[in-house]
Amino acid sequence: MRERVFKIRKLTSTSILTITGLCALWGIFWLFFIIFDVIRHGIASINLSLFLETPTPPGEPGGGLKHAFIGHFLITLGAISLGIPLGILAGTFLAEYGRNYRLSKVISFLADTMVSVPAILIGAFVYAIMVKPLGHFSGWAGSVALAIIMFPVVIRSTEHMLKLVPWTLREAAFALGAPYYKVILQVLYPAIKMGLLTGALLAIAREIGEAAPLLFTSFNNNFLSYNMSGPMASLTVTIFVYAMGPYDYWHTQAWAAAFVIAITILILNFIARIILKGGKH
Amino acid sequence: MNVELEVKNLSFYYAGCSEPSLKNINFPIYKHKVTALIGPSGCGKTTLLRCFNRMHDLYPGNKYEGEILFRGRNILAPEVDLIELRTKIGMVFQKPTPFPMSIFDNVAYGLRLRGIKNKKELAERVEKALREAALWDEVKDKLKESGLSLSGGQQQRLCIARAIAVEPEVLLFDEPTSALDPISTAKIEDLIVQLKEKITIVIVTHNMQQAARISDFTAFMYLGELVEFGPTEKIFTNPEKKLTEDYITGRFG
Repeated sequence: MRERVFKIRKLTSTSILTITGLCALWGIFWLFFIIFDVIRHGIASINLSLFLETPTPPGEPGGGLKHAFIGHFLITLGAISLGIPLGILAGTFLAEYGRNYRLSKVISFLADTMVSVPAILIGAFVYAIMVKPLGHFSGWAGSVALAIIMFPVVIRSTEHMLKLVPWTLREAAFALGAPYYKVILQVLYPAIKMGLLTGALLAIAREIGEAAPLLFTSFNNNFLSYNMSGPMASLTVTIFVYAMGPYDYWHTQAWAAAFVIAITILILNFIARIILKGGKH
Repeated sequence: MNVELEVKNLSFYYAGCSEPSLKNINFPIYKHKVTALIGPSGCGKTTLLRCFNRMHDLYPGNKYEGEILFRGRNILAPEVDLIELRTKIGMVFQKPTPFPMSIFDNVAYGLRLRGIKNKKELAERVEKALREAALWDEVKDKLKESGLSLSGGQQQRLCIARAIAVEPEVLLFDEPTSALDPISTAKIEDLIVQLKEKITIVIVTHNMQQAARISDFTAFMYLGELVEFGPTEKIFTNPEKKLTEDYITGRFG
């Protein structure tokens, strides 16, 4: 009788292990397949002229994506300078000044929800509030859309980090007669600076591969442009357009650009992990 | 003997509580003496200590009744400038709380808050505070290192140095040695005895021997009430109340 129970248990355990293992394999297989494919095609197509040359007229092989790299860099820079400071300040409000208000909990919840709002919706929103009233696509609109995507990530990481700081540290600063803003700037921010940096890196990694929000905002541009007030090329939209396009050399360039973005995201995540590990000591 | 702080009919309510956590407390704190607050856990001694620098004001809904007179002025009055009050009445916490900055900057923090920018003056006052906190010899060669790199006992002396650097009139200690080993505890006790020459000291402690060793006056509290207050020697050898005697002799608590 007892032996039978053990046998059943063993069988159940083995079958659960097999099922979960196969599910994990299923997921990991596609993940590696995609990454491997991007690397395989990307490495084969990457070359220096990709970064240094602007596009040739359509149909004429050669040229590069300098315009998209520069556009993407500028749009991202704009998004970082909008999204990160605002996100940190908002997170500070939620964890510090507003910690006793019910409103803060509502905002935290909404920020959590916003993380999973489809990016194209944010693109459409910025189209309605910026592109339509101004009458034209612009790099700035792209920055705003990406900043909105980063915003909830930065808010939540800032709030979370601040809440990990023991209250006694704040009390110690208050007990010396420090006003609240100085406690935040001089004691709390230095205490969580690595956490803030990690949150920022993860937020950048989150937005840097987005194409959908840029389609309606910064749109695209076949020429090199430094003008953030006009339409601007970005790597992600260029990948989208080139991948759908008819020319083989477009496809190779799209692969190369996808490779560069994937590697960038990988590196950002990697650095964030190293910082997080280092911060624990 | 001069009275530095006078607690008069003090009651205190935590936010959302209808029952007071401190009930009608009256006693004086004498200038340049060490006053110990003792009593079992939950008796309100830390709550009382945190009234002296209005720490309870950090959390909304807490309510004071009665008065604490500091040189004749009621520090519980709503119009009191808390930043100024906390300049005069400093605090050292149970766990060491060094700020995430260098040893020098930790001690200079309170001075800089008061607008002292002159480098020479800062350096002098930081050194003076560190010497008074008996930490100077251990850290004089590494003032630029992080305050977090010190040991627990050193961190606590760093916090004391930080508190005395701004030359407060009163220093509140909330179980300052409960997280420390006996050697560090002895150093801090010596320090407290030395500090009382210039500073009035109020200390909350769970350690009865510590209260007996370092304090001049002792207040015994129980369930939010002050049971007995008097010279430490008298409280520990010849208490008036039965409850005090039972606690001192370890029959409860």
